[in-house]
Amino acid sequence: MKDILGLVAKRLGLGLVTLLVVSVLIFFAVELLPGDIAQAVLGQMATEETLAQLRLEFGLDRPAVVRYFDWLAGAVTGDFGTSLIDGEAVTAKITDRFINTLFLAAYAAVIAVPFAIALGIIVALLRNSIFDRVANVVTLTSISSPEFFLGYILILYLAVKWSMFPAIASLSSSMTFLEMLERTFLPALTLVLVVTAHMMRMTRAAIINLLASPYIEMARLKGAPPWKVIVRHALPNAWAPIINVVALNLAYLVTGVVLVEVVFVYPGIGQLLVDAVAKRDFPIVQACCLIFAATFILLNLAADVGAILTNPRLRHPK
Amino acid sequence: MSMFVIGYYAALITASCIAAYFQNRKAFMLLFSLTLVSFVLGIVGGVPALRGVTIFAGILALAAGTSYAFREFLIQVCSPAIAKELRTAPLTAAFGMFVIFTYAIAGIFAPWIAPFDQSEVIASAFEPPNEDMLLGADQLGRDMFSRIIFGARNSVGLALVATVLAFVIGALAGLYSAVKGGWLDQLSGRVADVIMSVPSLIFALLILSIFGTNLWVIVVVVAIIYSPRVFRLTRAVAGNVVVMDYVEAARLRGEGDWHLIRKEILPNSTAPLIAEFGLEFCFVFLLIAGLSFLGLGIQPPTADWGSMVRENATLISFGDITPLIPAAAIALLTVAVNFVVDWMLFRSSGLKEQ
Amino acid sequence: MSKYHNKSVLLEIRDLKIDGYADETWVPIIKGVDLTLRRGEVLGLIGESGAGKSTIGAAAMGYARDGTRISEGSIEFDGMELTTATSAEKRALRGSRIAYVAQSAAASFNPAHKLIDQHTEAPLHYRIKKRMEAQEDAMELYERLRLPNPTEIGFRYPHQVSGGQLQRAMTAMAMSCRPDLIIFDEPTTALDVTTQIEVLAAIRDIVDQFDTAAIYITHDLAVVAQMADTIKVLLKGEEVEHASTEKMLDAPEEDYTKSLWAVRSFKRPQKSRPEDDSRPVISVQGVDAAYTGGAKVLDDISFEIYPGMTVAVVGESGSGKSTAARVITGLLPPMSGEVLCRGEALPPRYQDRTRDQLRQAQMIYQMADTALNPKSRISDIIGRPAQFYSGLKGQGLKQRVDELLDLIELDPAKFYNRFPPELSGGQKQRIGIARALAAEPEFIICDEVTSALDQLVAEGILKLLDRLQQELGLAYMFITHDLATVRSIADEVVVMQNGKVVEQGAKEEMFTPPHHPYTDLLLSSVPEMDPNWLTTLLEERGVDNIGEAASV
Repeated sequence: MKDILGLVAKRLGLGLVTLLVVSVLIFFAVELLPGDIAQAVLGQMATEETLAQLRLEFGLDRPAVVRYFDWLAGAVTGDFGTSLIDGEAVTAKITDRFINTLFLAAYAAVIAVPFAIALGIIVALLRNSIFDRVANVVTLTSISSPEFFLGYILILYLAVKWSMFPAIASLSSSMTFLEMLERTFLPALTLVLVVTAHMMRMTRAAIINLLASPYIEMARLKGAPPWKVIVRHALPNAWAPIINVVALNLAYLVTGVVLVEVVFVYPGIGQLLVDAVAKRDFPIVQACCLIFAATFILLNLAADVGAILTNPRLRHPK
Repeated sequence: MSMFVIGYYAALITASCIAAYFQNRKAFMLLFSLTLVSFVLGIVGGVPALRGVTIFAGILALAAGTSYAFREFLIQVCSPAIAKELRTAPLTAAFGMFVIFTYAIAGIFAPWIAPFDQSEVIASAFEPPNEDMLLGADQLGRDMFSRIIFGARNSVGLALVATVLAFVIGALAGLYSAVKGGWLDQLSGRVADVIMSVPSLIFALLILSIFGTNLWVIVVVVAIIYSPRVFRLTRAVAGNVVVMDYVEAARLRGEGDWHLIRKEILPNSTAPLIAEFGLEFCFVFLLIAGLSFLGLGIQPPTADWGSMVRENATLISFGDITPLIPAAAIALLTVAVNFVVDWMLFRSSGLKEQ
Repeated sequence: MSKYHNKSVLLEIRDLKIDGYADETWVPIIKGVDLTLRRGEVLGLIGESGAGKSTIGAAAMGYARDGTRISEGSIEFDGMELTTATSAEKRALRGSRIAYVAQSAAASFNPAHKLIDQHTEAPLHYRIKKRMEAQEDAMELYERLRLPNPTEIGFRYPHQVSGGQLQRAMTAMAMSCRPDLIIFDEPTTALDVTTQIEVLAAIRDIVDQFDTAAIYITHDLAVVAQMADTIKVLLKGEEVEHASTEKMLDAPEEDYTKSLWAVRSFKRPQKSRPEDDSRPVISVQGVDAAYTGGAKVLDDISFEIYPGMTVAVVGESGSGKSTAARVITGLLPPMSGEVLCRGEALPPRYQDRTRDQLRQAQMIYQMADTALNPKSRISDIIGRPAQFYSGLKGQGLKQRVDELLDLIELDPAKFYNRFPPELSGGQKQRIGIARALAAEPEFIICDEVTSALDQLVAEGILKLLDRLQQELGLAYMFITHDLATVRSIADEVVVMQNGKVVEQGAKEEMFTPPHHPYTDLLLSSVPEMDPNWLTTLLEERGVDNIGEAASV
């Protein structure tokens, strides 16, 4: 048990360090800006006085390292500064939208994860059958399609032609939960399509990879039926890769959401980020990037910890 | 009951009987289950549903036929060693090669194939297709078809350059890390970890917001974002080769690193690296398409598939499929490359249980 | 054979043909083999790698591995035809009436489940026993197989149990439904000799006790002589000879069988150290070594190798014999101590050694497959060292390569432009030797060079090495675990155990008593070609005093 705790602690520490390095990267990338933020905000028409004044306002007279720690301390306590465009607090702008994004990602994940793993196992069981081949072609096609392609196809058929679901996924606080589910069905479905294909293929690969092991042959020679070979002998050893697949795809969900949000005009953090990039509103860009990166790192961390916890060699040391 | 429906069922049942007579179990099961499914479809969806099935089957058959012919063509044209490999290619892979071939032709000869220039305004906005314009006009009145042809050159070309750059950076770093080991290996591994811990699209957005949407910025950023993937794979593949006794023998002989990489390691890792190049291209292509779609990729008036989707997106709400065409062009190429890669991965993984 | 004559036939294989899938076509790998096994009889299947013995073993269960198919013939198990049986019918036999014991127990136990749960899987599946009953039965079997802590060991996971114990646990698992037939597929090949004995003894006892029929597959004659009632010799998918064990050992009929028996007869006269005061080529002095962060693998190792002599370094896996070679070549710098070459200290790291120092010591590897770059031509593999060290080019280089190919008895015209994967195992090993010779060394480290080869081929390699030594005056450090090889080629022997040199000296001394107790254990554990060897040995040592129990 001590080994496991040690490994998990080490992995957590590594994740924290990575996050710190990423925060450095995000902050100092903006420092690479030709000129500085004040110039970027004011553009060509800036005079020396207005520039100097704005620099003072942003605290640009202080060294970058000091400003980094200020920014980091603020970020940890939930304060990401103010927007360059309208002077509003970044945190206030982000909070609701981040919740919306998480809602959409969770919606897609709840459908996609069980569905994909079950399908992956079935396809592994039926490998080389027609069903497997068709699934292979369909999932490959789904993975290869850009999210906006899938999104627009769904809009064209399910919203415009057959009017089954709304094309625009706007939310308001007065909606009931069911209404929200209906409104966000199309963006969620788009995400489900992409992510399920990925997860299913990787689950299949993880299981089939194990089927060449001698202990699988042993199980067959002990007379175990095919389903038992997969469920009892391959699956317990495939958990680590499968957990990895799930985490990877959840992480992908949270970021893949950007394009989908734009397609469906969904009020999430992704759309905010895209707007901020176009307007060069750096505090918002930095905040969004940090949040996305943190989610991503957290999920990868969870996957690694999960892989450690399901490894029988580590769970039962000598 | 229309003649179409009668013909439809007659054809299916005849084909099922023929398959059954020749004891082709798979074909029979496929055809006959299609017949049974058609009963349900016919009742629920009526004639249009059956027509849809027919069109779909026709397209599938056409694609299969083209792929088959193209594979035969390649087998005839290529050297015996490559031809032997090609014979093992499934139809999907042949289809992929055919699509890639078509795109390459379109991209290379774009100015000769396209009837108009990519930025030439020739009609009013959103004009429907006519004799001059195969696919109609876009939001500024430019020929959609010409822009799609030019898009093959611009979008695919940009992705190709970025992929090559990512590959050169990643593969070189991976090979050197595998050979050198020690702190260099550790360091490059950590750098790769950090880059990969920022989601790719987010990373690209961050950098583009700072440096603007210059073409070179896009190429470099995308290359940096995807090189860690290449690095990891190369490192893993080369790592398996480096532990071989023949590499140890070469080291103990006193050979330099470059000789080890060039003569001992690279020849033994080409197959997975070529497959990875295809995969990598798909990722890069989709990322750049995504950026363009967000308005942060190739800037107008240069034709680019991602931005064409965005520019014409309003048509969707009128039930017009025009904006889907460039999106489909993106999807088709990625699918094609993936089909080929799938086959190559299968080949290089040997014929172990699949 | 007479002993079982009146018993009923359990397994009858007639004209069995099996195809293997290679290069897009099906090629025959078993070309018509007959086999009859009566109840309680133990049949030894013996042959070199590629003889198809393992494939026949699987076919006896009606099982064709991936990439193989049974194309012709009949397999009748207790009145049931397996070639036409449905997969469900065949599955019902496996585990319950026919059981299988695989070569690598460590890989064949599922790492995710406890031993006893894997043991009871078949009896529970077939509803032969209730869980508690099955577990009690497992413990009883563990006890019969002399596993330590029989009531507790089953509740461990595979990685918590040693290799020899796992192999016995797998035999117990095979016994769980009291099958009529067990297929043993090289069950002791992966084990050290001292561990092998206990497993052999355990397997033999339990097969006797339950009167189970068995097919025992191995490439080791001495092992099969202990286990089998009758022996069938296979060559390239065809039967060469079939007779009772005694007859097979005393009076083999076929030339091929005789040649197998004769292999270990090659013996070279022992040489002694040169009388004059010439310095040793390699002298290892007080070396301690460890892999980064690990425990000491070598503990104060010293030995010397004189010009023109062969020093065999003997030990079981984990004894540190290969690590010693890594220290000499400079791949692993020692923590203390040094390596001298002709009295001159070598830099500890190979990167710091001069070209000439590197040239002096060459290696020949165990696995010829991984020792040669599969994408290089033979001419490049052999030519590169000649070019690298001697600066040969063009015609001179080609001539040198031809010369080297002649030296290793391969026709230059035929092999010059070929690639390693086109060669047989023995030919690859010869190319490995030629590569070492191309550097014109004085000293060659041979790391288990014959252990991956079939006996006849190995014999050829040993003779070649011996001839080269006489012609070129080479010194060899011969790393091996096989005492038969030591007997035939060594001049001096160094015995290692747990990173220490236990004993060293001239070969004749080492093979005549009194020995160091560990040397004694090693020597007495090597199976001999006498069917009663195991019985006699067990009587001498006492049943409880073998293998791990016989600690030194």
